[in-house]
Amino acid sequence: MTFLLAAAPVIPNFGGSSSSFACERANRLFCSEWVSRNWSTVLWPALRQHIVLTLIAVVLGFVISTALALIAYRRGWFERPVLIVTSILYTIPSLALFELLVPIPGFGLSRTTAEVALVSYTLLILFRNTLTGLREVPPDVRDAATGMGMGPMRSLLRVELPLALPAIIAGLRIATVTVISLATVAALIDNEGLGAPILTAISNEVFKTELIAAGGMAVALALAADGLLVLLQRRLTPWARAG
Amino acid sequence: MRTFRVSLLVALAALAVAACGSSKKSTSTSTSTANSSTTSSTSKTGPGAGKPPIVLGDKNFEEEFVLGDLYQQALQAKGFTVTLKPNIGTSEITWKALTSGQIQMYPEYTGTLLSAIAGQTALPTSADQAYTQAKTYAEKHGFTLLNRTPFTDSDAIGTRVAFAKKYGLVTDADLKKLGHSLTLGGAPEFATRQEGLLGLEKVYGLNPTFKPIAIGLTYKALDSGQVEVTDVFTTDPQLTTGKYVVLTDPKKIFGFQNVAPVVKQSLVKTEGPAFAQTINSVSALLTIPALQKMNAAVALDKQSPAAVAHAFLVANHLA
Amino acid sequence: MHNFTEAFKFIGRNGQIQGGPHVPTLVHLTLGTLKIAGIGVALALVIALPIGLWLGHIHRGSFLAINLGNIWRALPSLAVLAIGVAFLGLGLGNVELALIVLAVPPVITNAYVAIDEVDRDVVDAARGMGMSGWEILRKVEVPLGIPLIFAGIRTAALFVVSTTTIAALTGYGGSLGDIINNESSYHLSGVLGAAICIAALALLIELVLALVQRALTPRGLKLAKAEDQSMALAPLAATDAV
Repeated sequence: MTFLLAAAPVIPNFGGSSSSFACERANRLFCSEWVSRNWSTVLWPALRQHIVLTLIAVVLGFVISTALALIAYRRGWFERPVLIVTSILYTIPSLALFELLVPIPGFGLSRTTAEVALVSYTLLILFRNTLTGLREVPPDVRDAATGMGMGPMRSLLRVELPLALPAIIAGLRIATVTVISLATVAALIDNEGLGAPILTAISNEVFKTELIAAGGMAVALALAADGLLVLLQRRLTPWARAG
Repeated sequence: MRTFRVSLLVALAALAVAACGSSKKSTSTSTSTANSSTTSSTSKTGPGAGKPPIVLGDKNFEEEFVLGDLYQQALQAKGFTVTLKPNIGTSEITWKALTSGQIQMYPEYTGTLLSAIAGQTALPTSADQAYTQAKTYAEKHGFTLLNRTPFTDSDAIGTRVAFAKKYGLVTDADLKKLGHSLTLGGAPEFATRQEGLLGLEKVYGLNPTFKPIAIGLTYKALDSGQVEVTDVFTTDPQLTTGKYVVLTDPKKIFGFQNVAPVVKQSLVKTEGPAFAQTINSVSALLTIPALQKMNAAVALDKQSPAAVAHAFLVANHLA
Repeated sequence: MHNFTEAFKFIGRNGQIQGGPHVPTLVHLTLGTLKIAGIGVALALVIALPIGLWLGHIHRGSFLAINLGNIWRALPSLAVLAIGVAFLGLGLGNVELALIVLAVPPVITNAYVAIDEVDRDVVDAARGMGMSGWEILRKVEVPLGIPLIFAGIRTAALFVVSTTTIAALTGYGGSLGDIINNESSYHLSGVLGAAICIAALALLIELVLALVQRALTPRGLKLAKAEDQSMALAPLAATDAV
């Protein structure tokens, strides 16, 4: 019990007299001083990590869900099991998923673990939109392709997929902003991305600058990504503006 | 059309650069929240010099960041090599990281270890009993607890000073005067714990309307009158402002939440006696006022946990 | 695997903690979840469907409107809660705001694309028959756009159902979020049990929406689909089928 009798600690003033934390202490809604002090150490690295987290999730999710959608397009019965599994994946609370993954060798407290969650969140959106887009290709168009002597593969690549592009890209737009939002969960195990400052600010009772700054960056990132996808669609579907 | 393509390419290139830059960086622990370095920058002399490196983790809130930095810096000052993984996550995830060998130690609260990790429902009756029971549980799993801190970060009922004055509230039992109209805020788990709503109902005979709050809104909810009283933690920095008062808990329903570092047993052996001594000497200084002040410096002034820990250790000749 | 068998046992106990206090039943909490989700989806549809359909109909304003609807989705729901609490306080209103933010983008984006992509020749033909713009939207464009419109609604419903758990963070108890945000009392098995209930609820809603979608799909489109499938089975006969 000796440790309880130890001398009382010396509690320093923690920079209390200096004015360097005046803005923070004044409890202002937004401290631009804080942002400039922490831009290069906190916010900018977090934004870059967030972009990487999002890119990996959307690209992997797109590849997997497109493959699944193509199978379901050819074999109709495949749709329902995929929808059920992707729906369940989406509803798993990320914390519970992380708890299951962290003890598994190869996952642990890593970006890989975070990406498992993020990729699984994209599947539902991308699968549904890609499959719906493909199914909406008018049958007579497909017939025309067949009539022109295209095999199933060429018809898919040259006619059906291009016509499904608006729906596919609509899915990509939804999936991308969704992942930008959900990538916050990476901070729950991996301490990276905009989630780290956002979650810190949310649990903080008074200081909200981090939330405003990092939240604003997430919204700006979504704006840029969404805009890029629209430009991509316009490039890929020039016929859409002809009429 | 050309500008389209160019802007698209530029944007993609920027993304690619960001991607590469970041993936290179990912080998070093990111520093976004707790700003802790992963290498020991201080002297390589002292009892810890040449000992195997230690991987220390901390949980996902500010008090834990401070604790992680305190232990890391104190150990480094003695020559130990310590990697800190800050902001790992909830108790459950941090415990899984510990048991799967990704970290070797982290600061945990004795009561939390018993309820959330060990799943024990019977409440310990003293801080010592909580510590002993938690230690027994840890030792069953190949870990041990170093000494506990004097401070306890346990639940308590807090309210605005004006409200307490108006109704003459001093202890939790006084809340009975308010009758059934009492609105109480607290984290969702408060509703299902003996050291929470259940204890208030059973032991103090209260029957409040419970509102779950979990995102840093406790004191705001009090300020705006959306709840009359709320579950607070005894080391909350807001309690230093003089705006709030903590009701006493004469029947001791709120349990014991002293911090004790959970450490892998083999680590205690391989690091030698100076390791435990160093950590215990830090823990012994951690009183409620010390933690409230450090938490205030981190949460209210937004100083980095590392800087706050450093100032504290220097003032107490531990770094 | 142990966690999952425990989770099903937890469901079997109707959400009671073994050796623990009496807590609200899983059935009760699931119904609470359904209520929060139902309100959220309904409000989001009221907001997003008219905008998406109208923009698709006029083939204009998509970039700005969809972008403006979309980007707020980038904010984590917790952040929306934290911001919303300043205006709406604690409680259901704030929760619904966060859910609407999630549900609007898929509905608006897909509804717009669904209508925008309707074959212009069909629309021209309808106009030639003397239909007004409103009639064209109601009788031609919406029926033809049903599959993609519903893809958006179904995605939105899933977003909302799985996010209702945030209710337990801002003063609104009585949903499965009470369990999911309370791991220290319910443990991983309870959290997984509650997650299974949410997944079941999501699948049920998915099924109901699929049935509604089928009921709303015009007969002609269903027939085309049927032919379509027979065509896939017998590609050689495809030309005869049309």
